[in-house]
Amino acid sequence: MEETIATAENVAETPVEAEAAPQKKKKKPINQQKLQDNLWGWLFCVPLLIGTIWFVYVAFIMALIISFGNYDIGGSSGNTQTVFEFLANFKTYVERQPQIVNGMTVGLTEVSDPLHWYKLLFTTEATVGGYKMNEMGAYLFNTVFYMIGIPIGMVLSVFFAVCMSRDIKGGNLFRVLYYIPCVASSISIVFTFRIMFQPTGVMNSLFGSEGFEWISGSRNWADTFGLTTSNEFLKSTYWCQGIIQKTVIVIMSVWKGLGGTIILYVAGLSGVNAATKEAAQIDGANGWQIFWKVTMPDLYPTIFYNIVTSVIGGLQIYAEPVLFFEEGPLTSGYVSLIWGYGLNVAGNSANVGRGAAYGMFLAVIIFVLTLFQFWLDARKKD
Amino acid sequence: MEEIMENMQPVPEEEVHYSPLRYAWGAVLAFFGVSSRTHRASKKRAKLVGDVFTYIVLLFGAFIMVYPFWWMLAGSFAYTGRGAGSETVLHSLIWWPSVSTLDIPESEAEVSFFENYIILFTEGLKGDYFASNYDYFRAVLNNLFYSIVPVVVGVITSASAAFSFAKIEWIGRNKVFFFLLAAIMVPGPSIMTTQYAMYSAMGMMNSGTAWMPLVIPGLFGSIMTAFFIRQFLFGLPTSIIEAAKIDGAGYFRIFCGFILPLAMPAIMAQGLLSFMGCWNNYMASYIFISSNSEWINLPHAMQMMANRERFTSNVAPTIAASVVCVLPVLILFACFQKLIIGSLMLTGSKE
Repeated sequence: MEETIATAENVAETPVEAEAAPQKKKKKPINQQKLQDNLWGWLFCVPLLIGTIWFVYVAFIMALIISFGNYDIGGSSGNTQTVFEFLANFKTYVERQPQIVNGMTVGLTEVSDPLHWYKLLFTTEATVGGYKMNEMGAYLFNTVFYMIGIPIGMVLSVFFAVCMSRDIKGGNLFRVLYYIPCVASSISIVFTFRIMFQPTGVMNSLFGSEGFEWISGSRNWADTFGLTTSNEFLKSTYWCQGIIQKTVIVIMSVWKGLGGTIILYVAGLSGVNAATKEAAQIDGANGWQIFWKVTMPDLYPTIFYNIVTSVIGGLQIYAEPVLFFEEGPLTSGYVSLIWGYGLNVAGNSANVGRGAAYGMFLAVIIFVLTLFQFWLDARKKD
Repeated sequence: MEEIMENMQPVPEEEVHYSPLRYAWGAVLAFFGVSSRTHRASKKRAKLVGDVFTYIVLLFGAFIMVYPFWWMLAGSFAYTGRGAGSETVLHSLIWWPSVSTLDIPESEAEVSFFENYIILFTEGLKGDYFASNYDYFRAVLNNLFYSIVPVVVGVITSASAAFSFAKIEWIGRNKVFFFLLAAIMVPGPSIMTTQYAMYSAMGMMNSGTAWMPLVIPGLFGSIMTAFFIRQFLFGLPTSIIEAAKIDGAGYFRIFCGFILPLAMPAIMAQGLLSFMGCWNNYMASYIFISSNSEWINLPHAMQMMANRERFTSNVAPTIAASVVCVLPVLILFACFQKLIIGSLMLTGSKE
């Protein structure tokens, strides 16, 4: 690769020097050149520009507008309007005039104000294990619970990355082996893990806990560990329901995500200044001190990048818990809400407006969290 | 200087006498490469012990990483076709199924070694939700289509945008680039319901055009791919392009003749990564394609099969389906691991 560059450069350099001089004398060709640059520059990025604007930005703005209205498609609603027609008539929706399409009343018949869906987000209740609680709270709590895997995965991957960057043979092989779960389809993995976590399955024979119910059965701390406690919190509140099931998802996501972060940390560790390390060694620092005082500060940008991306990814968890257990407030992540209301996957009428409102709230959460992380980062540097 | 000299001196012989027990303990520690007050371990010994420890830890981790895949492969050769309760063969599977397709007595049935794969491809998705002539292999072909066409075209459009952003000077270049880069802030699930409505309004959801939502958006390329290829192109010398320009080559020829071949490692790596992403893309198929359509992709087909009643006790064909879903990417990854890992490392060091 580098050789080809080098030879191409050598070949290229002679004509540059030879023809650069006469070009400077004329003024017109240069303008022509600039025109060409602008034209071709735009032309080359036009496909990507169109795609991104149409499929991301336009979709985002449409979602924002729809989230204030009442638009549903398919199923029982009888709405035959396309989303573009709906947006063209959006004014009538804001003015709360129901429309009659094909003899059926659609539009804001139920919706009393533009913020209807956003209000529902905070007022809808769900029942979990006999306990009523805020629906969004339940789903959001599950999502946050799954994010416990982020710090665990981080510690583990730094540990493995340090092991791999030792001067040993076969370090590359390990990197490849650890990355395998990252490239595998999560559907297959969930299906496999579901059988491995059966009461008589591999996991239990491995841990010597035959008959332990990972997937169904006891759903709170007290029952799981046979605690005879009078503590209401441990025994009966929503927060402690389904802990075991959620732990399984945490285990699986740590296992699946480890390889990717290890590679990032190995790359980060190779950038750590070897001279500083050696100097610290000569000054009598032991391995532990070198790790915390020399390696970690150099690794900080990688860690920061990793945390930001995994928090953004962690908030969007959907498939794993839904495929592992049934969809519901006990185990599903927040995205389940968006698609549960916003899409007619099961053939029910899909309220795109409601889904869009829930989606906008997710976008706000992610945006605020990311800003917060960057703020922390900026404060640390001062 | 003096300080350094002081540090390099050996531990001074002090007049302290250690108990024999402490002395023996020090010897043991030194044997395992740990220095203490009584014995100083040699550096070589410390390195050796450290290496052994590292290997043990790494091998243990590698085992955990790889074992479920072995389990999957072994499970796909289990024989669970004996009716209700036969799925316990899989529950107890650790290394190899107790009843595998190898050791079924001939009297029971004519069972070949690849029985589960044969069941998968002959009757995997026939009946129930699907047409009686639906072939599981169709889902494999669909998946190849979904992960080759958008990826190949998309990587080229991304590379052309990257070329424009890295090597052509035009007014507003950086503004457009950051405008595009800001799109990664929009989380996918937030806009997917609207995209669903949008695609259906654009006629991409009819039974004949159900493949479009998984192909058309991909053709326009992705900003992250463009970002990484742009990063790579910054490393290429601009003088090549200048020279080609002076020799009379247009930008289109420069792109096809110089940029594409020179940036091939980056383009290949990004293409492979997005190929694997598309191959495993269950979400898009689940949302945009109705579950009884013939256009569903492979993970979706596998999920549909797992939900089927006739495979609740005869689970092994579904395990075979998950092997079919995983194996192609694993082989691809094994072939191109150097390229892929190298590209990811580059991502890590540059962010």
